[in-house]
Amino acid sequence: MIMLLHLAARNLWRNRRRTLLTLSAMVVSLALLTLSLGVFSGMLVDILSSTTEQYHGHLVITAEGYLDDRDMYKNFSADPALFSRLQQDQAVRGLSPRIRGFGLVSYQESSYPAELLGVRPEMEKSVTNLQTQLIAGVFPTDEDTEGAVLGSGLAKKLGVSPGDELVFVTQSADGSIGNDLLIVRGIFRTGHSGHDNSLVLVPQQWLQQVMALEGKLHEIALSVQYPLQAAEDAQRIATLLPAGLTATDWGVLLPEMREAIASFDVSRFIFVIILYFATGLGILNTIFMSVMERTREFGILMALGMRPFQIRLTVLLECLLLGLIGTALGLILGLLLSSYMALVGIDLSSWITPITYAGGTIQPRLTAIFEQRNFIDPAYMLLLVALLAGLLPARRAARLQPVAAIRED
Amino acid sequence: MPKRFILLLIPLVLLPSPLWATDLQGLVRKVEQQYMGLSSKSRMEMSVRSEHWQRSLMMDSWSLGREYFLIRIIAPPKERGVTTLKADKEVWNYLPKVDRVIKVPPSMMGGAWMGSHITNDDLVKANKIDEEYSFSLLEETAEHLLIECLPQPDAAVVWGKVIYEIRLPQEVPGRVTYFDEEMIKVRELIFDEVQKIDDRFIPLRMTIQPTDKPDESTVIRYSELKFNTGIDQSFFSLRNLKR
Repeated sequence: MIMLLHLAARNLWRNRRRTLLTLSAMVVSLALLTLSLGVFSGMLVDILSSTTEQYHGHLVITAEGYLDDRDMYKNFSADPALFSRLQQDQAVRGLSPRIRGFGLVSYQESSYPAELLGVRPEMEKSVTNLQTQLIAGVFPTDEDTEGAVLGSGLAKKLGVSPGDELVFVTQSADGSIGNDLLIVRGIFRTGHSGHDNSLVLVPQQWLQQVMALEGKLHEIALSVQYPLQAAEDAQRIATLLPAGLTATDWGVLLPEMREAIASFDVSRFIFVIILYFATGLGILNTIFMSVMERTREFGILMALGMRPFQIRLTVLLECLLLGLIGTALGLILGLLLSSYMALVGIDLSSWITPITYAGGTIQPRLTAIFEQRNFIDPAYMLLLVALLAGLLPARRAARLQPVAAIRED
Repeated sequence: MPKRFILLLIPLVLLPSPLWATDLQGLVRKVEQQYMGLSSKSRMEMSVRSEHWQRSLMMDSWSLGREYFLIRIIAPPKERGVTTLKADKEVWNYLPKVDRVIKVPPSMMGGAWMGSHITNDDLVKANKIDEEYSFSLLEETAEHLLIECLPQPDAAVVWGKVIYEIRLPQEVPGRVTYFDEEMIKVRELIFDEVQKIDDRFIPLRMTIQPTDKPDESTVIRYSELKFNTGIDQSFFSLRNLKR
């Protein structure tokens, strides 16, 4: 076996130029593949964050069943111990406790139905980025007891601008009519018409009082390190929660986004297949040529007593060696290219504007993110392709008739 | 008129016809209006029992015909002064805490009024039953009439069918059953404690019983009721709402 390995290694270096050419094809295809997969993932994360970070967050913790009907009685108590336990989780980057109320927002003669989110502004900023999407005014501070930010569509319908006074009316948890005043501090525009036309962010305590739900929450929104892995995080975080609470990831909250990402995954797969098909043909070509050249040699080896399966093994080992070297170099090059794209990236904003896709926004920039499977999957597949490409030539070599082979020129 | 034609009419006249069938609509209207009078002033107590709360409100109410009424909460203190004005098809609420008058928009008309089982729509449409439905007699006994009310084809109503019971001989509403568009029973209004006030028979208590929530109900009971108070339309103004 060791001898066969020796033989294979030496065979590879006999025609250095050809081997190097094949090797470079493997290295480049693997490197480009990991790079483009990284850029793909970068786009996915971009589009995903643009959707999740304007409202839901990547994960949301609620009482069981709350997400089905948003029943205000499916609430839970704000527990600081739970907050700190969540914050200690490895993946959690930000956390925002919220209370939600539906009712009527009114200014002068006009009233419109609205969804109010009672938040603590500083914590909310760690989960959503509405504060970066203001078109007027400012984002309220934690000290603000009556400041509100609302969507641009709702603000336009009501005819309000920062500084104006709003009235919110709702059915409180005790059956009375909850009502109180708000001061418009800022107006945001997310591009999502649902949010722009009905969402109002208000101070948490204010809303708890109006709804007669003092100290209660409807959800805790979380942002995590790797949004694409939020489903796994949700499972782990669920174990930190007291009974009656569940963790739901964006894939469940935004099924259309999950579909979009699944379709991206399919196109990524097709991309890999096409590229490797070409690479595989290249490897097949090289190995075939080298087997043909060595017909006589194989004949002699067989005449000397080498068994056909050993011949086959030698050829396959050559492929494997080639594959291993190619994979190693390809991974290194891929890592280098990806880090360049991750750190520097390419700005396309002078050519194209942001594109909306499946409710998310693709930013006009190319940037890569590192994801394990973007490296591991192509690497395994390259090894597999190298071995597959070797099967045919190996079979041919193993089937040579020693006498005929020796006579061949 | 040709003789033959008159002969044709004879069987029609001879057909046994119930006394009420001739004008069920008129009867329902009479029963409904009896409640309102030309104008009225009342004090009532509303008790709401629901899954999440139990509350009791004292209210003063003024009405003029069917088109106008004003209801002001006088107890409990937390909600004192909250006032609802219904004028024609619009409902306005005055909220003393923020000192604002808010018109209930069309999208909120299905919402509960003051946390009860009455919707804003009920306030606007409930007493229009004789205008938007057509009637047929289901049952007639010495104690009551059962009238089936089906919405007229072009009526903008929320119910698929209403069964209206009129108690005899006082001609007061008894049990009114509401069905949705799939003809599933949704709720019942039960009127009782009939008393004679100013020559009219008036049920002093009304119970609203949602069918799918047997543990919940809203009960409204009049403690004072006066008719023909001489109040006029100017009373039902937005200015007075804020008073």
